[in-house]
Amino acid sequence: MLDLTMQAIQASLDGLAARQRITAQNLANSETPGYLAQTVSFEDSLSNAIGDGHVSGTEIATGTTGDPVNINGNNVSVDNETLSMVDTGLRYQLATESMNNKFRILHDSMRQDL
Amino acid sequence: MTISPIGNILGAAGLSPLQGTQSATAPTGTEATSGNTFTQALENVQASQDNADTLAKAAATGNLTDIHAYTIAATEASLTTELTVAVRDRAVESFNEIMRMQV
Amino acid sequence: MTSPMFPVFDIAGSALTTHRIWMNAIADNIANVNTVKSMDQPAYQERFIIAQELPSRSGDPVGVGGGVAPVAVELGDAEGRVVYDPQNPLADKNGLVRRPNMDLGDQMTNLILAQRAYQLNLAVVDRARESYQQALNINGR
Repeated sequence: MLDLTMQAIQASLDGLAARQRITAQNLANSETPGYLAQTVSFEDSLSNAIGDGHVSGTEIATGTTGDPVNINGNNVSVDNETLSMVDTGLRYQLATESMNNKFRILHDSMRQDL
Repeated sequence: MTISPIGNILGAAGLSPLQGTQSATAPTGTEATSGNTFTQALENVQASQDNADTLAKAAATGNLTDIHAYTIAATEASLTTELTVAVRDRAVESFNEIMRMQV
Repeated sequence: MTSPMFPVFDIAGSALTTHRIWMNAIADNIANVNTVKSMDQPAYQERFIIAQELPSRSGDPVGVGGGVAPVAVELGDAEGRVVYDPQNPLADKNGLVRRPNMDLGDQMTNLILAQRAYQLNLAVVDRARESYQQALNINGR
């Protein structure tokens, strides 16, 4: 039932949700000594998978920011994490909008007002 | 008393026999127009849905710089779909009405 | 680069980071306003953050810049104010010590400037987020 576009949207929702969790974890550990901030990336993998015509090969990968550490060995940048939250929130909203639009078009095509 | 057989009733009443009925569809002028509208709406729907899909995929991979481009395209796809459905519904309704007019 | 889809967040974000670093430097200066050094050492030197504009990101059609970044920390006067304070345990045989050569008024002014700039950039992020959310609501429903 889900065409390639809807599968892509669903994959991006999974990736964005993972990013949201990692951002929350980074913010919770903004003062923890020795904690290194983590990132989530899935966009390139998803882009390649779409080019091949499917999304099953999409990988949601975690990495580190590579930012310099402070005296405690912590490298969480609260500004960057906060902005990441705003960015992810908007993109999540956009993705759910897209999914709604796709389902609405399916509904419209199926209904019979005869 | 003799009863003469019934002869040409229609002729007695001044009527002529029924000619072949006209085709059940609308006259050729408006038929071409409604057919064209329907075809155009159908073609539009596919193009606008494909456009919205392309932008949605770009948004999913984080490559879309103008998100309003997607929302406008999605709204257009939604509206053209509704238009097509409405046109289809009217066409089917008209067809059914004509089919009900069996003599 | 945290936000390829919304460049404004990266631009405002660079300013948030830069001004936060500036506030750290100012805090360092204010914290050390009474740090006394002996004559054979440099005085506490005022920290200055050197900031520079960032070039525009590749692929940007308009070529508007990429924000701001701190590029260097400069240190101020190493001589400091030489003060006669014979009771101080760090005083040399002449009773002299070094105090930092900084104006507390300058530091407070800078602190207010840094705070204002930080708040303004937060406002940019907020307004941009609202605008994008309205774009997401273009629907007619």
